[in-house]
Amino acid sequence: MPPRAPNIAACTIALTLSTALPAQRAPNPFTTNAGEWPSYTGDTRGSRYSPLAQINASNFSTLEVAWRYKTDSLGPRPEFKLEGTPLMVRGVLYATGGTSRAVVALDAATGAQRWVHREEEGERGAAAVRPLSGRGLAYWSNGTDERILYVTPGYRLIALDAKTGNRIPGFGTDGMVDLKTDIDQEILPDLVTGEIGFQGAPVVGRDVIVIGAAFKEGTAPKSMRNNKGYVRGFDVRTGKRLWTFHTIPKKGEPGYESWLNGSAEYTGNTGVWTQLTIDEELGLVYLPVESPTGDYYGGHRPGNDLYGESVVCLDLKTGLKKWHYQIVHHPIWDFDLSAAPILADVTVAGKAVKAVALPTKQGILYVFDRVTGKPVWPIEEKAVEQGTVPGEWYSPTQPIPTKPAAYAKNGTSLDDLIDFTPELHAQAVAIASRYKLGPIFTPPVVSKAEGPIATLTRGPTNGGTNWPGGAYDPESHTVYVAASNAAPAVIGLVQPTKDRSDMDWVTGIAPAAGGGRGGGGLSVQGLSIFKPPYGTLSAIDLDKGEIAWQVAHGETPDAVRDHEALKGMTIPRTGQPGFIVGTLVTKSLVIAGDPQVTTLPNRPRGAMLRAYDKRSGAQVGEVLLPAPTSGSPMTYSVNGRQYIVVAVSGGPYSGEYIALRLPAGTH
Amino acid sequence: MMPRVFAASLIVALIPVVSVVPLLAWGAEPRALDVRAERTVWDSVYTAAQASRGETLYVKSCARCHQVSLAGADESPPLTGGAFMGNWSGLPLADLQNRIRTTMPSDSVGIYNRQLVTDVMAYLLKANGFPAGATELPTDTEALRGIMMRASRP
Repeated sequence: MPPRAPNIAACTIALTLSTALPAQRAPNPFTTNAGEWPSYTGDTRGSRYSPLAQINASNFSTLEVAWRYKTDSLGPRPEFKLEGTPLMVRGVLYATGGTSRAVVALDAATGAQRWVHREEEGERGAAAVRPLSGRGLAYWSNGTDERILYVTPGYRLIALDAKTGNRIPGFGTDGMVDLKTDIDQEILPDLVTGEIGFQGAPVVGRDVIVIGAAFKEGTAPKSMRNNKGYVRGFDVRTGKRLWTFHTIPKKGEPGYESWLNGSAEYTGNTGVWTQLTIDEELGLVYLPVESPTGDYYGGHRPGNDLYGESVVCLDLKTGLKKWHYQIVHHPIWDFDLSAAPILADVTVAGKAVKAVALPTKQGILYVFDRVTGKPVWPIEEKAVEQGTVPGEWYSPTQPIPTKPAAYAKNGTSLDDLIDFTPELHAQAVAIASRYKLGPIFTPPVVSKAEGPIATLTRGPTNGGTNWPGGAYDPESHTVYVAASNAAPAVIGLVQPTKDRSDMDWVTGIAPAAGGGRGGGGLSVQGLSIFKPPYGTLSAIDLDKGEIAWQVAHGETPDAVRDHEALKGMTIPRTGQPGFIVGTLVTKSLVIAGDPQVTTLPNRPRGAMLRAYDKRSGAQVGEVLLPAPTSGSPMTYSVNGRQYIVVAVSGGPYSGEYIALRLPAGTH
Repeated sequence: MMPRVFAASLIVALIPVVSVVPLLAWGAEPRALDVRAERTVWDSVYTAAQASRGETLYVKSCARCHQVSLAGADESPPLTGGAFMGNWSGLPLADLQNRIRTTMPSDSVGIYNRQLVTDVMAYLLKANGFPAGATELPTDTEALRGIMMRASRP
């Protein structure tokens, strides 16, 4: 049990827990040990682990649909981007869905709807920077009172009675806290259109709700000035704001000096748009912080820019900083820390270490002692190329871990280009020769029609691992994480017209660059310019700091399998690019869906949900879904039967939660 | 209803998922199944001028999320390559038009008329390597039902 105040109320809670809830619920209220899934990642530690074992290698491929829940009617129109991971507590499944982010409670065994809650936010909802159904919810209970917490598209924190779906009157104002207020800054220009929001799931620990902040895509901002993405803690009982952490330090606070020329005053963003992670036992919260304003140009914010692209550890109760580590100095690659930090209790060289591991867009797993903030394996400051963009400020070095090795491709060289045939390779080289290539941290360039058109790299923005994050197996001390290897990042800078932006440089391609333009210009006869594997699933042993296994994840795309130039060739499974690949680890399996739709000669169009042996990486089962899994899978057990629930959507397929279980009589 | 180009017994035999058939029955299944008569994006179904108009609009209105490179970003999928073609290959262009028209741009849905949306589609066809021709891509949804996206040349 996390150390709560030793009062009568706490005793009541303990008694209630021991009688009304499954015995294994204590001591940690957020655990999957009793077959529930009470927090976005199962627990609040980023684990996505469940000890359930009924669905295993011998029967995964026999999974059937238990129920399905289409989210079309939860908003004014169907949604095609359903990214939620539901929660399951006491036989009830809670999920977000629909274009205006409704909350539904469903019977976890049958999918029957119990209640729906939806806020009507009008213009404020329509102006949301992070619209649509979001990624999920938080659950909290003191044993009797059960609450569901979520953030609306218009950036309001809502507390609902989990039994009825009604707002809780004693929380904030009639069950609502306006997150655009009480934030140590005035949200500009006004509360309706002021740029700030959050589509992640709140996280709760020790009765504190922690909420991040997100903004519009930042590759070509309208201004170097923006609202700041402070992170806040709220009392789960009253909605009262407990603390605010300034992700951009205020004058007089440590870190302010890392923003030269006073640029901390006007620079914004630097929020936490992905999932936060809580260590309830230690009473700490881990913040994966995004880039400051201007993803690819930082000339208006010279200096290292703390806490941009840093992992920050705070005291959960006070919001005071314990430690931080900046993963990228002076961020100009859009290497937002994009995934929930993973808490792992490991044994390194015979010594117990309480670690935190961060999957990243750059495909590097950064691992720290989560108490001290010291790297578990040395991280070296390596000299990196200094760019030539007028007005830019460059960090001379960047931190590069010695272990584990990168689990995804980052950077680009000619050796990385497609080589199925000499002709395809020659075409790829001809295209790539118009770009600047180089290893990770090769800086962006001014786009020139005569070349370089841009820096062509991998990792920035949508490579490696993004918001679905990874999973962690507490039995084998292994992180499982999917990664995209073949998403080209094209980083050219152009001078915007003054009506477009007050920045000196924003992302863009020189108008006369012509044929090099667009992703189309980067494909070779319709094929990726990069070699496979396009996407991978990796197992990383955190005792050793080594990749235990790595497999191509995802069916070979139709464009490869059906390509005329490749007829007669035997091409091993290529995997698929795409970062929306959430992982789930159970007693014996790692489960992850394909990010793309394929159509094979022996089956109709669809996307596979795959199961791998977690020890070897061998695929042991697959089931076909009608669309890609667009949210991370979760699992639970009700009435003696294990269920796996996935969100599917994308392209022409509108959002749907699909629950799978074994056929009757076979479990 | 499942794609009739496949024998149901074959699917059940090879894909050990009892749910496959009902799952797909709800999906946006291919509608034009007579492959011999099918008109596809390989048949020069847009003009270069239309794609150019579409590009201007794309850069102005779509690139802030999907990027000038069409590579997508944290919140926005790529509009070229395997993910894009996987989603739309085998479906009529009417489905893509409907999707864009009814969901984009996500913060002000519905502000673009059919002509503008169709022009952007012409640009996407160009960017994905499909040939231009002498006739513009029609704005009429019913007409677009007769043009199939195909990742590979039939």
